[in-house]
Amino acid sequence: MPVSIKDILPESRESRLEENIATFVDMLRREGLPLGTTEMIDALKALGRVDLANRSEFKAALQTTLVKSYRDQAIFSRMFDHFFVPQEEHQRKSETAASYRQQLENLINQADSELQFKGESLQLSEKELQQYSSLSQQQRDSLQDFLQKTETGKNVESRFRPLLETVVKSHLRYCRTKKSSEQESFHNADGSGAGSFAGSEDQGLREKDIEAIRAADMPAAEQLLQKLSRKLAVKILRRRRTGPRSGTLDLRRSMRENMRFGGIIFKLKHKPKRRSKQQILLLCDVSASMKQYSTFVLHFLLGLQEVVRNLTCFSFSDDVENLTPGLKGRKDLQHILDRVIRQSQNWGGGTNLGRALSEMARKYPDLINAKTTVIVVSDTKTVSLDRSLKELEKLNERVKRVIWLNPLPLDQWPDYRSVNAISEIVEMWPCSTIGQLEEVLTGRL
Amino acid sequence: MTTTLSGLRKKFEQVGYICDESTALTVYLALDLKKPLLIEGAPGVGKTEMGKVLAEILETELIRLQCYEGLDETKALYEWNYQRQLLRIQMNRNLEDEQIREEDLFSSDYLLERPLLKAIQAEKPVVLLIDEVDKCDPEFEAFLFEVLSDFQVSIPELGTVAAKNIPVVVLTSNNERELSDGLKRRCLYLYLDFPEVEKEVEIIKAKVPGIGDRLAWETARVVARLRKKQDLRKKPSIAETLDWARALVALNRNRLDGKLVADTLNLVLKTHADQQYFKREIGPEGVEKILKNTEDGGDICRCQ
Ligand SMILES: Nc1ncnc2c1ncn2[C@@H]1O[C@H](COP(=O)(O)OP(=O)(O)OP(=O)(O)O)[C@@H](O)[C@H]1O
Ligand SMILES: [Mg+2]
Repeated sequence: MPVSIKDILPESRESRLEENIATFVDMLRREGLPLGTTEMIDALKALGRVDLANRSEFKAALQTTLVKSYRDQAIFSRMFDHFFVPQEEHQRKSETAASYRQQLENLINQADSELQFKGESLQLSEKELQQYSSLSQQQRDSLQDFLQKTETGKNVESRFRPLLETVVKSHLRYCRTKKSSEQESFHNADGSGAGSFAGSEDQGLREKDIEAIRAADMPAAEQLLQKLSRKLAVKILRRRRTGPRSGTLDLRRSMRENMRFGGIIFKLKHKPKRRSKQQILLLCDVSASMKQYSTFVLHFLLGLQEVVRNLTCFSFSDDVENLTPGLKGRKDLQHILDRVIRQSQNWGGGTNLGRALSEMARKYPDLINAKTTVIVVSDTKTVSLDRSLKELEKLNERVKRVIWLNPLPLDQWPDYRSVNAISEIVEMWPCSTIGQLEEVLTGRL
Repeated sequence: MTTTLSGLRKKFEQVGYICDESTALTVYLALDLKKPLLIEGAPGVGKTEMGKVLAEILETELIRLQCYEGLDETKALYEWNYQRQLLRIQMNRNLEDEQIREEDLFSSDYLLERPLLKAIQAEKPVVLLIDEVDKCDPEFEAFLFEVLSDFQVSIPELGTVAAKNIPVVVLTSNNERELSDGLKRRCLYLYLDFPEVEKEVEIIKAKVPGIGDRLAWETARVVARLRKKQDLRKKPSIAETLDWARALVALNRNRLDGKLVADTLNLVLKTHADQQYFKREIGPEGVEKILKNTEDGGDICRCQ
């Protein structure tokens, strides 16, 4: 069946435009265009400024707001032509749709007449009847066969009917789930729908414990979170004092150092070696105790991913798993999110930080060097703490910096020996509220 | 800066920038929605020119940030004026009585504004052209992204500097590498393709005074046909079309022929390999064929 056909008819413009655009954006997402809420808002804004009756203006406005690479232009064009059908064609297609509906009705009637018990129809919904007619001939036969045999059996009374109905229904349900799991990729394209445009400046959100943020606040909180994690990345990667060559004179620092000598440059300060291959390694604890923070972790990660090229991301519990390959695809945020959760099969296990760290060092030695900043997001609850501390010390010596973000509420920190021990080795910051994370960023980091 | 779409089209025409409807519309939307405009496309299709032309149209200053590998904040944002600082310290030494403080030296008097800061600090909205953004390092790109999100920057010695006016931002890229999703998300996107033959004729006529109809058409058609050859290392750009047309006018020609193309080839095909390719695969005879063949939009009859 073709995708439902919509149109932008001038008279019904107001009510249907937004809805149509949302559906269209959704279709593009399924084709792999990395579209978020921003693009959708831009598209609607842009449409407010063009002549909607002019098809090419309409198309150009959508194109410039929704398509951000040459490669995707062909996909866009194809989908656009498919989705926004000119009015005459719309007419023609709706006729086709009408005849399709007629056909469907016939099928349903047919199904109804086939699924009878003692000369009476079973109480099945239209949808169930439709499912029945989409089964293979063989499957249909076997259902009919089953009904017939029951009907002609001994001691069969009409009060068996409800039972039979239940059996048929559950059989249909079974066939349906089997089918839909085969086409699963169709399901999760919903993404951030039109409802989540909420502004992100909600002060209350900043103070709330991340785990306590209500579902209704989530979109705003997520936006805020992503913004913060981007800022964090920029802060880490921002290059202020580095020049094009290694060891060039750093005039800014020399000037400062030598003010007291009355302008005679006495001590020269050199710029540190240029760090062109700065990278961030993100380690996300995904063990059971961290599960409640998983949304936080993922949005944090997505924000980072938006600006950091050399981002490598591991999830760890008792082992490590490299998530980066999954993050490379140009899929929409929601997709990545779903995939990361699904991919990290170890979600829900217990944490063994020591093992995870040594595994990572063994498998990915290239990642661990003096240009790497490691961000760990974890509540520090790990088994074999002593080994973990040793591994962490090792890591800390080999990389540029380790930043530990701890989502555990601050008042619980003293209760855990691990918090104490780990914060003696690396810098640890609280992030149980968005406000705290913001503080980390504006503060001394 | 209130322009209508048709007003903008007219202005493009006036300044001699020839573009199609959807390009004009995209630029209009970028201005109206106050979003940065990211332009991608092959070399020489007029990406940089767009930035320049917009400044002209909007009658405002053009501030250009040319990106390259290794570009950092001291070149893009600000630097301290060390010479002046030194002078100040030395002058102070002679005064004896007063101890100079660090705040005095690192104050706005000693700040050298680089393009980004200049654009943000300008009294009137300017056009900020961030040219060839794909050439800068990813770290710098991330920094740019933040600047384009907030239009404010922090200078440790001075604090946060917010934009007095949001500039009109044009970014160009040659697709040397893919830009981050975040940066793209901030921008409206325009892909500039090589123009249709008709459009290129318009460009030629706008930029090469005194060229005849026939020569303009024939030049545009040969160039368009050359661009279709997948084996060329470097496809001729609009700039090359224009150079070529100018040379032909200077040579007092008013039509093309196979020999003339072969003789002036180095103006259109810039690499030795491409010239060899031309000699081998097309040659003067091939050109004659292109000129006779009218199917690709070059309707000779339209020229007097
Ligand atoms: N649409 C146009 N109308 C008029 N002139 C144009 C147009 N496009 C390009 N030109 C001319 O072509 C020349 C080259 O354009 P420009 O330098 O903007 O190309 P570019 O896309 O920035 O190329 P590169 O990727 O090499 O930087 C310009 O100097 C301009 O004169
Ligand atoms: Mg250019």
